[in-house]
Amino acid sequence: MKKRGIGLGCSWYGTGYGNGFPDVSSAFVEIHDDGSATVLTGAVDVGQGSNSIFAQIAAEELGLESKDICVYSGDTDATPDSGTTAATRQTYNTGNAVLKAVRQAKSSLLDYAAHEFSCPTSEGIELKEGYIGVKGDPSRCMPLADMVFQARLKGERFISAESSTARSTPVDPETGQGAPYWPYAFGCQMAEVEVNTETGMVRVLKVVAVHDVGKALNPTQVEGQIAGGVTQGIGFALLEELELKEGKINNPALSSYLIPTALDVPSIEALFVEDAECTGPFGAKGLGEPAMLPTVAAIINAIDDAVGVRITSLPATPEKILQGLAEKKEG
Amino acid sequence: MKTSVVGSRVVREDAWGKVFGQTKFPADVNLQGQIYAVVIRSPHPHARVLGINSEQAMSLAGVVAVLTAKDVPNNSHGVLFRDQPVLAEYIRMVGDPVAVVGAETEEIARAAAKLVEVEYQVLPAVFDPEEAMMPDALPLHPTLRPTNVLYHMPIRRGNLQEGWAQADVVIEKEYSTQHVDHAFLQPEAVLAHVDERGHMVVQTATQYAHYDRGEIAHALGLRFSQVQVKTLAVGGAFGGREDISLQIMAALMAWNTLRPVKMENTREESFYSHSKRHPMRMHYKTGATKDGKLVALEAKIIGDAGAYSSWSINVLRKSAVHASGPYVIPNVSIDSYAVFTNNPYSGAMRGFGAAQTVLAYESQMDLLAKEIGISPLEIRLRNLFKVGSITATGQVLTGSVPLDQCLAKIAPYLQRGGVSQ
Repeated sequence: MKKRGIGLGCSWYGTGYGNGFPDVSSAFVEIHDDGSATVLTGAVDVGQGSNSIFAQIAAEELGLESKDICVYSGDTDATPDSGTTAATRQTYNTGNAVLKAVRQAKSSLLDYAAHEFSCPTSEGIELKEGYIGVKGDPSRCMPLADMVFQARLKGERFISAESSTARSTPVDPETGQGAPYWPYAFGCQMAEVEVNTETGMVRVLKVVAVHDVGKALNPTQVEGQIAGGVTQGIGFALLEELELKEGKINNPALSSYLIPTALDVPSIEALFVEDAECTGPFGAKGLGEPAMLPTVAAIINAIDDAVGVRITSLPATPEKILQGLAEKKEG
Repeated sequence: MKTSVVGSRVVREDAWGKVFGQTKFPADVNLQGQIYAVVIRSPHPHARVLGINSEQAMSLAGVVAVLTAKDVPNNSHGVLFRDQPVLAEYIRMVGDPVAVVGAETEEIARAAAKLVEVEYQVLPAVFDPEEAMMPDALPLHPTLRPTNVLYHMPIRRGNLQEGWAQADVVIEKEYSTQHVDHAFLQPEAVLAHVDERGHMVVQTATQYAHYDRGEIAHALGLRFSQVQVKTLAVGGAFGGREDISLQIMAALMAWNTLRPVKMENTREESFYSHSKRHPMRMHYKTGATKDGKLVALEAKIIGDAGAYSSWSINVLRKSAVHASGPYVIPNVSIDSYAVFTNNPYSGAMRGFGAAQTVLAYESQMDLLAKEIGISPLEIRLRNLFKVGSITATGQVLTGSVPLDQCLAKIAPYLQRGGVSQ
């Protein structure tokens, strides 16, 4: 018989290295003579899309489009150290470094432009859609490219280097008391599963994932992170297990070490909550790791809801479920 | 704040190359005159290397070099402690690299690797972390720790006895999680060469080029300024590319032979050349009042660090800090341990110690709810962190804590029968 159940899982995750470990990111920025710009950072894009996020951050700040920004990363001869692509820290931490660096280069550009436009303060200058000009005075406005090029002729360049360090403190080693991480990212997921009581097979039918992202800098990438996280969570909950015998791996192959395939991925509904984190770039928090955390709990709780079997050891293999059903029958 | 580019669905710049197969991963790049290197790994979980005879391998046509521990200027690397050898003389896990063979082709390198004779003195090994914790267990890293307990983190808050006194319902259970591999789709690959400046250039897929540079420079005795690590496209990482895998061995071979060196793991080799997710045993005892308010938590978490320390201290710290779940619990006693064994070493993996505890704390929540007779959603709503809540470590949560908003969004989906029609 096939029985369905639903389960809820919540989680929290302290992003960043934490516990007072130096969590520093750096970025270099150069605004070019044609009004485009380059961002250099050590932050490796491991496929999660950080380079695109940094381009969006720089473009937003300079009144440009993403395609006007070149992001080059992860080359030690050219880019400054931005720490590991880990700990859900690149959007937040290197994002902050990029934002600081862009703002620094922008600040000297605005100062220069204020002087050129006879505006007594750079507060009166704005960058918009590739133009630079005086706020509220369309007659004092020119293409950003012209301004930057003319500045070069006078020996002015708009380049910058900045670093950003996340806040965290070490906990007391005796009591564990302290503020080890900041910020924390929250999330919850619902899984609906179908359990075959004859075979013990669990099929995940649907996952609804709601994650706290501070601000979705790119909603498509938020959805991508969630889809990947849920899929990895399904593998953790139901499939993946290294079989060890005296330290030797008995299944070092993808034919015997099972990871989810396209056929195992259910319908995933990715939702997010935007509650700005004031220390993050444009209010953003990281999402990389949190996206996979609640999945395991949602699935395990859904299995119990479906067939009344409480799985306490991962993965929830058909054998464990059949054993649980048998014990229930006896008990 | 109104934004136009931020918040929009900009298409990723790397998307087209990946879709059309143009993206260059490290396995896709080659240099003229390159040789291939393969690793000889220990089949034993705990052993001493007594001798390595590479004469027969070297006599095979096309073999360029066989390098062993004695060829490594500074034979160690590691993220927290440099406790992992580049090429091992003392084996702590199956898969520890003992020699690297360089040859004109990959086929010759693999054939030559089979001809290298390694003599081992096999030592007794320990695979169960709780056994490894026993005071009489042989310590695997005596210079680092007197016992196999690499790390213990206690969290103490409130008064547990008072907590149990207030509890109407107590759930006590054991949970366990398994060894998990990152199983990124692209196995490790490296191209290393000494360039025209005399610099060591290493092209690879990593999570942290600057860390790799430091470890390569350290092992080879070079300055940071003489080593360039250039990241090519990364085909998945998930924490499995934080520790060094092949980078130093490839650089060492290139530095010794002055030939470009290509290394590429098979899937099986990949399983042996990066960390694993910590298997954890979690003993949880959670108490709540009949109104569904959490009042006490006692948890003991034992994480199998395997053969090397990697990030285990930080991982088990994260387990302890997150052990309460996102809930206010005034009386708490948590102990987490990272323990050395002769299993494959554990390290960073997406969730980093906070992924395992979710199984325990969220199962406990459902079991408590059932016992009390309220819904899974309701028990969470009654205990969740809000702005101003205090965590088990005494941290006051200020700023963005919108778990209530997340639950409000998911609540409609929890109505039975309303899901997948």
